[in-house]
Amino acid sequence: MGMKAGFFWLGFLLACILASTSADETLNLWPMPVSVNHGLQTHCLRKNFALKTEGSKYADGSGILKDGFSRLLDVIDVSRAADKLTNFNNFPMLLGLHVIISSSSDELQYGVDESYKLSVPGNGNPNYAQLEAQTVYGALHGLQTFSQLCHLNLETRIIEVRPTPCTIEDQPRFSYRGLLIDTSRHYLPLRTIKSVIDAMAYSKLNVLHWHIVDSQSFPLEIPSFPKLWNGAYSASERYTMVDAAEIVRYAQRRGINVLAEFDVPGHAMSWGKGYPSLWPSPNCSEPLDVSNEFTFQVINGILSDFKRVFKFRFVHLGGDEVKTDCWVTTPRVGRWLSKKGMNKSDAYKYFVLQVQKIALSHGYEVINWEETFNNFGKQLSPKTVVQNWLDNSVPEKVVAAGLRCIISNQDKWYLDHMDQSWRDFYTNEPLSNITDPTQKKLVIGGEVCMWGEYVDGSDIQQTIWPRAAAAAERLWTSYDKLAKDPEQVIGRLAHFRCLLNQRGIAAAPLLGYGRAVPTEPGSCYKQ
Amino acid sequence: MGMKATLFGIGFLLVCLASAAAGDVRLNLWPMPKSVSHGIQTLRLSNDFVLRTEGSKYADASGILKEGFSRLLDIIEVGHAIENSTNLNHLPLLKGLHVVISSPSDELQYGVDESYKLSVPTNGNPIYAHLETQTVYGALHGLQTFSQLCHFNFKSRVIEVFPAPCTIDDQPRFSYRGLLIDTSRHYQPLPMIKKVIDAMAYTKLNVLHWHIVDSQSFPLEIPSYPKLWNGAYSTSERYTMDDAAEIVRYAQRRGVNVLAEIDVPGHALSWGKGYPSLWPSPDCQEPLDVSNEFTFRVIDGILSDFKKTFNFRFVHLGGDEVDTGCWVITPHVKKWLIKHRMNESDAYKYFVLRAQHIALSHGFEIVNWEETFNNFGKQLNPKTVVHNWLGGGVAQKVVLAGLRCIVSNQDKWYLDHLDATWQGFYMNEPLTNITNPNEQKLVIGGEVCMWGERVDASDLEQTIWPRAAAAAERLWTPYDKLAKNPKQVIGRLSHFRCLLTQRGVAAAPLAGLGRAVPEEPGSCYKQ
Repeated sequence: MGMKAGFFWLGFLLACILASTSADETLNLWPMPVSVNHGLQTHCLRKNFALKTEGSKYADGSGILKDGFSRLLDVIDVSRAADKLTNFNNFPMLLGLHVIISSSSDELQYGVDESYKLSVPGNGNPNYAQLEAQTVYGALHGLQTFSQLCHLNLETRIIEVRPTPCTIEDQPRFSYRGLLIDTSRHYLPLRTIKSVIDAMAYSKLNVLHWHIVDSQSFPLEIPSFPKLWNGAYSASERYTMVDAAEIVRYAQRRGINVLAEFDVPGHAMSWGKGYPSLWPSPNCSEPLDVSNEFTFQVINGILSDFKRVFKFRFVHLGGDEVKTDCWVTTPRVGRWLSKKGMNKSDAYKYFVLQVQKIALSHGYEVINWEETFNNFGKQLSPKTVVQNWLDNSVPEKVVAAGLRCIISNQDKWYLDHMDQSWRDFYTNEPLSNITDPTQKKLVIGGEVCMWGEYVDGSDIQQTIWPRAAAAAERLWTSYDKLAKDPEQVIGRLAHFRCLLNQRGIAAAPLLGYGRAVPTEPGSCYKQ
Repeated sequence: MGMKATLFGIGFLLVCLASAAAGDVRLNLWPMPKSVSHGIQTLRLSNDFVLRTEGSKYADASGILKEGFSRLLDIIEVGHAIENSTNLNHLPLLKGLHVVISSPSDELQYGVDESYKLSVPTNGNPIYAHLETQTVYGALHGLQTFSQLCHFNFKSRVIEVFPAPCTIDDQPRFSYRGLLIDTSRHYQPLPMIKKVIDAMAYTKLNVLHWHIVDSQSFPLEIPSYPKLWNGAYSTSERYTMDDAAEIVRYAQRRGVNVLAEIDVPGHALSWGKGYPSLWPSPDCQEPLDVSNEFTFRVIDGILSDFKKTFNFRFVHLGGDEVDTGCWVITPHVKKWLIKHRMNESDAYKYFVLRAQHIALSHGFEIVNWEETFNNFGKQLNPKTVVHNWLGGGVAQKVVLAGLRCIVSNQDKWYLDHLDATWQGFYMNEPLTNITNPNEQKLVIGGEVCMWGERVDASDLEQTIWPRAAAAAERLWTPYDKLAKNPKQVIGRLSHFRCLLTQRGVAAAPLAGLGRAVPEEPGSCYKQ
């Protein structure tokens, strides 16, 4: 190492100290990485910024990395940059990004390694930024972080990379970082769903929980039982199984798994539009008829069709808000209950456990809403993940019982609750009151829920964003780097919401509650 | 003509009569064409549906037609996977579209011929649809209409073309069909502006009125006076002149002209951020200093820069809401007024006419807001188009005075008025009380205005759509084909709003006021 380099490192260290002592306004990264060391220099990006992969064990036969890199160039506005760098630009130039991935597999499964290490060197010739990751999905996260270091300077038309030099080491705190969408209360067009997935990738969320069907409509084609989607709102408010596969593919190429849900036996009235015998009776059409073997044949058919398309380890079986009255008031079902010696609660348990068994037989692990745990937690399959939503004391009980848990407490993480501000989303801590390290590990993550009663293609984006992004930092960033007071992150989150806008995502202002509109003229960064 | 063809002809006529007599609920075209004759057969779109152009005089060197055709394929699939034709499908195959354009020019100018004739026959081997037009821009409208005849059938997985046979003759009622966006009160990112243009093309609107700058911010680069965009909200909430050129290019390729506006002297406070001498004084900053020659040099510089990028025939010079208070209380301006023997109103007139003179010298024709006409209409240049906004009745006076007029009465056509309903947008008649045919011709069209005080990237689209589409039919469709009662079009408009959402445009439900959100779960077609 020569004299010059020695000076450089000294400068770098000083810069690091400066950056870590003063409030660092230039570091507008969202979600905040585990560790960032950086100087105070600026690099500029070559117009034909290139991807280099020498030494990588990942062959990218499916083009996931190549496509991700091309999306990177798109979101950092390379097309708006000047073709030739002007003379008054004295910044060192970055020629490209060198990506080294050590796993050859592109299988996206629960718990896949999502870590990455990104570094932008100070000088050097030729000058490449470097991204190291175990998997291509870690690399995709690194590309997102890199995109947030890039700023198009509109005066010089140069894409500036700052702060440099810079080393970022990063990995998620929780392996399950979910967002629920609901296509039963309102149909969501394919393009809308894809646009939601795009924004999930920007905020490093990794599970799209697709609440496909509910009482109101059954939009998805089920090849085994082709009349089920007669329960769709209309002939065009539907998804073919090929459409579903396309959603899964699109999400997977962005590092996002799709968790498919049907919600039985309670939220399933629309099933009977095509097969009325699934209803206890035409006048009492919910929950699904527990006494009819056909009910379980249909569930088996659905899960067998799901298994071909929804490759995620988990399937969600619902199980919430089951009102069993129809079972009692319908004579045929009532007789069946007596014959089996079951009361209503027994039958509810019987239904859920039967369905769990079917799902397990198809190789899925299962997720159920918390009522199943609250009512018969001890009988649930040990492979169950319990999704909390009602009661804040449930997660500690779930993990104490040795089951896994996903946090979605409705008082903080329900996006359809307009009175919950981004601050509630940011400060909601999944491990509240859980101290035992083994139990902590059973909380696999959390999920924000965009129930569809009042959202369709016209208002879903601004209802989701930026509040879901606030939760995304809670789920990604290490606990000790999270702000204790949300006011500390307001500038950085406002910056991220403006970035979403620039990328074509209709994220709402931070001022006000959910889906707020701007109250007066002003800069995006202040609203 | 053989026997078969004659018989077919008779059958076709009968069908036409039938469909003309009965209310034809299945013809979901928006805006409704001038004339539609059709049968009731269905064709199937070939999986390799092709564009043919033999006999066309338009060479398409710029690729406008080719790209339009490729967008057509994209929007009729709306993301659904089309399956290879299955055996169970017996519908006749539509092999392609034969486009014949008689003008070789692709110049998009005010008054360009936008007519087209589209026919979809049911015989031929193979069968081709035909589109005949004067210009490529007429052809683009024809492609939009054709896209609305195409429906993805979720059962057969093919795209059906209905109804056929079909002959559509179409041309706009008004040559100016505008939508205003305002990038001063809130910055709109480029992707958002492009999405608005996409949806304008779907609705056959043809002028994007870009209210670029106002008191609050000056987002556009002006090369002649590079400090003007110091008035931007922030360094990133800006457009370079290259960005503006890209907007113009993007719009032009979709048949949409861009009308650039600077609103002087009243709405221009932000100009002085970079050049404080444009203000009467730092304490009294609006209107622009009428006494300073520099003011007019800056306007000249802006218009000279505009001329290189905004090649529409018109430029908009504003001129509304001029509060001349600052001119009277600022001593140096007051002295100038006295010296030139002007009172406040004289100075207002002097300013507007001088700006008009500069614009004319650059070869622009001029649009001014109606206050200029209301105050000194007789002195306005005869090339002025007066832009009505305050109320009804002005258009009558404008055309009586022999000037041209654009109608935008705020009580019906201001999109920022959330209490203005789509019914109001639909029913607003530009020719109200104008009966003389020569005077009628002077009403060149109308425009709906999306003022930006309370819209940013998060709520722009759902505030504009579907209300702007309701006005678009008023401006496109012949008067006698317009519904007298908006209830008659509710089904067709809601179909169109669902089409917009499928195409990724966040168009709001019809039920409720502007920017309404869905009130309860339900089908898109019923909300």
